[in-house]
Amino acid sequence: MTTYIVRRLLYAVLTFFGITVATFILIHSVPGDPISFFIGRAGLNTIPVAVLDSIREEFHLNDPLPVQYLHWFRAAVTLDFGDSIVDRRPVRDRVLEKLPNTFILNFIAFTLAALFGIPIGIWSAARSGRFAERASAVGFFLLYSLPSFWVALLLMQLFSVRHDLLPLFGMSSDDYLELSAPARLADRLKHMVLPVITMAYAQLAIFARFSKSALTEVIRQDFITAARAKGAAPVAVYWHHAFRNALIPLITLFGLTVPYLLSGSVIVEQIFQWDGVGLLYIDSVLTRDYPTVMGLTVITAVATLLASLVADILYAFADPRVRLGEKA
Amino acid sequence: MTPGDSLWRLTWHRFRRSKLATFALVYVALATLIALFAPFLASSPNTIDLGSRLLPPGEGHYFGTDDLGRDVLARMIHGARVSLTVGFFATFIAVLVGSFLGAMAGYYGGAADWLVSRVIEVVLCFPFLFLLLGIVALFRPSMLTIMIALGLTSWTNEARYVRGEFLRIRDVEFALAARASGARDARIIFRHLLPNALAPMLVSASFGVASAILTESALSFLGLGVPLPTASWGSILSTAHEHIEYAWWLVLFPGLAIFTTVAAFNIVGERVREALDPHSE
Repeated sequence: MTTYIVRRLLYAVLTFFGITVATFILIHSVPGDPISFFIGRAGLNTIPVAVLDSIREEFHLNDPLPVQYLHWFRAAVTLDFGDSIVDRRPVRDRVLEKLPNTFILNFIAFTLAALFGIPIGIWSAARSGRFAERASAVGFFLLYSLPSFWVALLLMQLFSVRHDLLPLFGMSSDDYLELSAPARLADRLKHMVLPVITMAYAQLAIFARFSKSALTEVIRQDFITAARAKGAAPVAVYWHHAFRNALIPLITLFGLTVPYLLSGSVIVEQIFQWDGVGLLYIDSVLTRDYPTVMGLTVITAVATLLASLVADILYAFADPRVRLGEKA
Repeated sequence: MTPGDSLWRLTWHRFRRSKLATFALVYVALATLIALFAPFLASSPNTIDLGSRLLPPGEGHYFGTDDLGRDVLARMIHGARVSLTVGFFATFIAVLVGSFLGAMAGYYGGAADWLVSRVIEVVLCFPFLFLLLGIVALFRPSMLTIMIALGLTSWTNEARYVRGEFLRIRDVEFALAARASGARDARIIFRHLLPNALAPMLVSASFGVASAILTESALSFLGLGVPLPTASWGSILSTAHEHIEYAWWLVLFPGLAIFTTVAAFNIVGERVREALDPHSE
């Protein structure tokens, strides 16, 4: 168990190096160095060569690539990605202040998707081979194929344009500051409904499919046949023997959903003008705010890495075969 | 059916037993034909007619017009070209890269396997939309950039399938026989082993096309896809977003096109997977 966790940690450190190397290569695969890239974009072609050279010197751009990488890496470890070229503020601060907004949306969507998706998956696994199971399998597939931005637009049409039930976009109404505390909460929640639905439906399909196949897999195992053979009631076999074991692979899924959620945030936050890191990212891409784009790319990759690390360690605790060192 | 039937005939036979999947396959073929013959099927997608801006569906414009008076149906038919070209070529690149790296990892094992597995881990850490948008931000967006970026970020599934298949069969008798008869590594890999990995690759490619179409339309929707005025399904939806309070037809039709095409590729892929699985049915 300890060896498993230590080895997993070592791999995580290695992957972190890989993430920084990949991002560094991406930055440097752009034609020209970052300085001429900026100058070209900003149309500042009149800057004297001597000034450019001193800037290059200051940012270590005259050093060999591996040395440049080390400079960049040392800054990246402390989450120092430089200042945004939009407002000159540190990228780290800009990201940290948007993070709570993204987190709350994702957290609610994730919880709802798990709360509904897992029972639906279990239900359809129990109806294996029957019409309900096949119909729900097709249903998951269709949900999975729905483009989230289309669903968002349809929801906006229905709930905001046709029937004036929910706000079209934004995080709060114009008179938010004048409202009482409970009214503020209600206002915030109303603004969350459509973004949360948009984020949750595809997640739900993933949860349902995954828990269904996990359970179906367990039911095929010999120990389930053994439980049935010794005369355990079907319900007991299902809940006590099968369900508990099917939960273990779900832990992996919790780790895997983080990158999906982050990618989904970009689209949903853009459509609903939700002031989180996804919207920050798309705005930075559109304004070519290079330090913010690169900083967020590394930060989201590290978040994914940490999530899968936590999931793997939890898995080790949950699965006795790993815990007792049988399958390290 | 006779016991001597090939894997492909057997798979096809089982595939056809699903009406839904057969219908999806026909739909995919139809969409491909529409994309191929778009210029013969629709008038120019870029004819601006400011006199007929934002017209609802009706005579002359069956799917209505957009904010510049362009015919939505014509733009959708031409948009099919973008979606399917990006879908097929991005997947083609992903299959090439993935099967090459997967084959190296699975055949040579050891250090090659270790290295490829670490690279896959790193690629999977980047949320795909962040990585893609980052690439598109650095290099100017064009159909080529998008296809290459999509291909180079989505090969990990293919690599894992091929690696797994190679690990399973590299020491089976026919591979040993090829090696004993003096075949070079390249010949064993491409002639003897790779054909065995084709079936799972077909499944993964079908899912790959679906997700590439979905991602391309998302990029176009965000304004970072194929540059305007080239028509694409995602960019029509982006216009729809601006006119959400009024133009429902701009939302409905292009969205349906994306959804049905993506669903068709997914359904075909899932059915091929089932048909290839000796344990199912």
